[in-house]
Amino acid sequence: MSETRTALIEIEDLTVKYPGRRAPALEGLQLQLRAGETVLLLGPSGSGKSTLALTLNGLIPHSIGKLQSGRIRVAGFDTRQTTVATLAQRVGILFQDPEAQFVMFTVEDEIAFGLENLCFSPEEMERRISESLRLVGLTDLRYRRVEQLSGGEKQRVALAALLALEPEILVFDEPTANLDPQGTREVFDLLRRCKETGRYTIVLIEHRLDELMDLVERMVVLGKRGEVIIDGAPREVLRSHLSTLQELGVWVPQVARLAHALQQHGWSLEPFPLTLSEAAEVLTKRHALNISRQASPALLTSASAHKNGHQQSSGSPPINPQPGQGEAAIEVCSLSYRAAGREVLQDVSLALPRGALLALVGANGAGKTTLAQHLVGILQPPRGCIRLLGRDLTTIPARELTRHVGYVFQNPEHQFITEAVEDEVAYGLRVMGLPATEVQERTRTLLERFNLLSLARANPFTLSHGEKRRLSVATMLAMGQEILILDEPTFGQDEYNATALLELLWQLHSEGRTVVIITHDMSLVATYAQYVAVMNRGRLLFYGTPAALFAREELLAEARLMLPPLAELARRLGWSDLLTLEDLCERCLQTSSLTPQEAMGQAEGAASLEEGRPCK
Amino acid sequence: MQVIYQEGESLLHRLNPLSKVVALVPVVLFVALTTDPWLPLAFMILASATIVGPARIAPGTFWRLQAPLAISLLVFMILYPFMVRAELFDHTPVLLRLGPLVLYQGALLAGTAAVLRVYAMFLLSLIFMFTTDISDFIRAMVQQWHFPYRLGYGVLAAFHFVPLLQEEFRLIQAAHRIRGIETQGGVRTQVERLRRYLIPLLTSAIRRAERTALAMESRAFGALKQRSYFRRFRFSRSDYLFILCFWLLCLLVIALFWLTGWMGPLSFTKEL
Repeated sequence: MSETRTALIEIEDLTVKYPGRRAPALEGLQLQLRAGETVLLLGPSGSGKSTLALTLNGLIPHSIGKLQSGRIRVAGFDTRQTTVATLAQRVGILFQDPEAQFVMFTVEDEIAFGLENLCFSPEEMERRISESLRLVGLTDLRYRRVEQLSGGEKQRVALAALLALEPEILVFDEPTANLDPQGTREVFDLLRRCKETGRYTIVLIEHRLDELMDLVERMVVLGKRGEVIIDGAPREVLRSHLSTLQELGVWVPQVARLAHALQQHGWSLEPFPLTLSEAAEVLTKRHALNISRQASPALLTSASAHKNGHQQSSGSPPINPQPGQGEAAIEVCSLSYRAAGREVLQDVSLALPRGALLALVGANGAGKTTLAQHLVGILQPPRGCIRLLGRDLTTIPARELTRHVGYVFQNPEHQFITEAVEDEVAYGLRVMGLPATEVQERTRTLLERFNLLSLARANPFTLSHGEKRRLSVATMLAMGQEILILDEPTFGQDEYNATALLELLWQLHSEGRTVVIITHDMSLVATYAQYVAVMNRGRLLFYGTPAALFAREELLAEARLMLPPLAELARRLGWSDLLTLEDLCERCLQTSSLTPQEAMGQAEGAASLEEGRPCK
Repeated sequence: MQVIYQEGESLLHRLNPLSKVVALVPVVLFVALTTDPWLPLAFMILASATIVGPARIAPGTFWRLQAPLAISLLVFMILYPFMVRAELFDHTPVLLRLGPLVLYQGALLAGTAAVLRVYAMFLLSLIFMFTTDISDFIRAMVQQWHFPYRLGYGVLAAFHFVPLLQEEFRLIQAAHRIRGIETQGGVRTQVERLRRYLIPLLTSAIRRAERTALAMESRAFGALKQRSYFRRFRFSRSDYLFILCFWLLCLLVIALFWLTGWMGPLSFTKEL
């Protein structure tokens, strides 16, 4: 790497418009990226991050969109005057959806595809294919068919296909959004390896930031209109502009949020921590927090005993976690399910008390969705296997079932059946045969609650991501459903919308409804879930509280899950019982002002904070 | 097609896809000309033998995948004599009388011949479908027969869509059911339901197509007039040999039937 980093990408006063849209996607954007830099690009949804990526490899304006003003030079080439063929060898973009990136059917053919387009000789192709496969560590899968690969492997193949073109600039456009934790880790490891080669200038669009911050040298934040509003070194940006970022609704590293919370209590953390290791170091150093390492086992037991009683310690999940609490909302008894010659579910049993908030986690293909689909009759359980609110599910007619259980699909569009937002909500009520005035009234109340009233007449398909999701939840509550199941509700949402939705679910839970959330987001589990069920290869591996789960490293490893960043930080500080930002913040404040002996005495109090409380 | 394709390493799998087309198409066309049931029957046996023999397709798989068509053809064969205009065959002997229904020998023979003809043609093309990866076929077409590559690779990308769209359709169906949509009802409700499925299905199909197009273009697809090829498709000696042998075998069968007088008249329109 050269000492003087020259500008590799120069963007001047760039305004980009898509045909048929009134507002430009990017407006007056100024940006210079230097060779070898790793830049994190942040912005709320719709701020034009992906658009910016497409301008770098010339697809805008050559294939779609229009440059209304300004210009971009990539490695000295003006993109308007340079062919996509030339630019494709400079800029590689790894997109979000692994499925949508493939043209060919085998790994080798897929990597050859781009090389063939550029008329490389077979000998050169051979060299580049084996080289790029070696780089992504998939040499063994060279002749495999792509549909047989896991999500993480697919993204690695897609990246190999880009690397084969030997670009200088790599853009990662939310490459882990569709992946489970295991796949995410694979992609992040690879990203790290790309960075280490020193060959690439990397532009990163991502929202799982805590594992990546050590790679990032610069942060660029786009505003709502697609202009650069913040640009600087990560430490500086996160120290000084965190509140701006949070107002924008973009995801920020959780470590930075913790540091900020501590700063507000008058702490000064130097250096301002960006990564877990930095945070652990600065916290330990500043306040000699390592004293509590000895205290942790005692804390853990007292905390678990206090909160969750009997269900924690046992290895096998209890069938009825809370006896004496009346009937369970959902009761599953040795449910098994086979599809296409594979055991998708094997002997799954669990009982969820009424009003609980359960997170259902596990790798892709572990059986989470299959289990959830049994609960709403999308898949038919055998007689006597599932009881809902005390009744055998097979005895409840389909029509009636929809009144008890709501199910929100991962893609909210799947569920829209009318042409107006208000009709969506009213539909279920009309099916129930309620009088028109009552339908109207209840629709209004729901729309108001979900902040959709101003959009009552809009077509559901024209809403934004966050609005669509809120609407799909609203429709699933219209009939007064007591149980609500959501499949990855925070998928593809920016932090603002995700938090708003989770707050709403938390409220519903507080009102006594039973909520089940299928998710990959372990921070969500730590912050909101009351119980967590871990699926692994069709089996229920664990069922208990998040605290109990996070205390069992071997179990997390087996299920290919990871601790959420803050719980990981707490573990490194010796507080394995702490899960959320609030807990951690509180404990830091307490411990710093106390002697070790006092700290232990206080632990009981800290642990008794109500579990799963969302933090603002 | 990708559903029917069976991965394998057999002699037929290793052949150039186009040599199979060259070998099979004339034979299929000839079978289309037959009017009697006997020659199609012979080709059915020949095709089946090729499928379980040199193509090494497991008989179970073969049986399972050909069954849907076989069953529908059987139904057709049973119904045909009763549906066809009676005056065409009322000069032939009556085999059966069931109240108003009359079964003429001529009608039965004609129906059987039609069914066997279609089935023989189907089995012959199965030889190709079982052993040919669609992507190999399209790439060979592009390379050897100068099929426009932009179109060819577009079709290939579209093949990835089929299973995804099927899955999507299944999901939408389930999602609508959960909303409490009527599953029964007359034709009008059914049509209305399909219309409702169509909007989300199309929305996501278009979105996916856009993404795929961007990903392809990002890798310089269509940027140049020419393309090079990592794997070259060309006819080797075994391809020519296969075509020759297959044709000779078929000619032998045809000659045998012709000489023994079992071939019957040939006609494309079947107006004899």
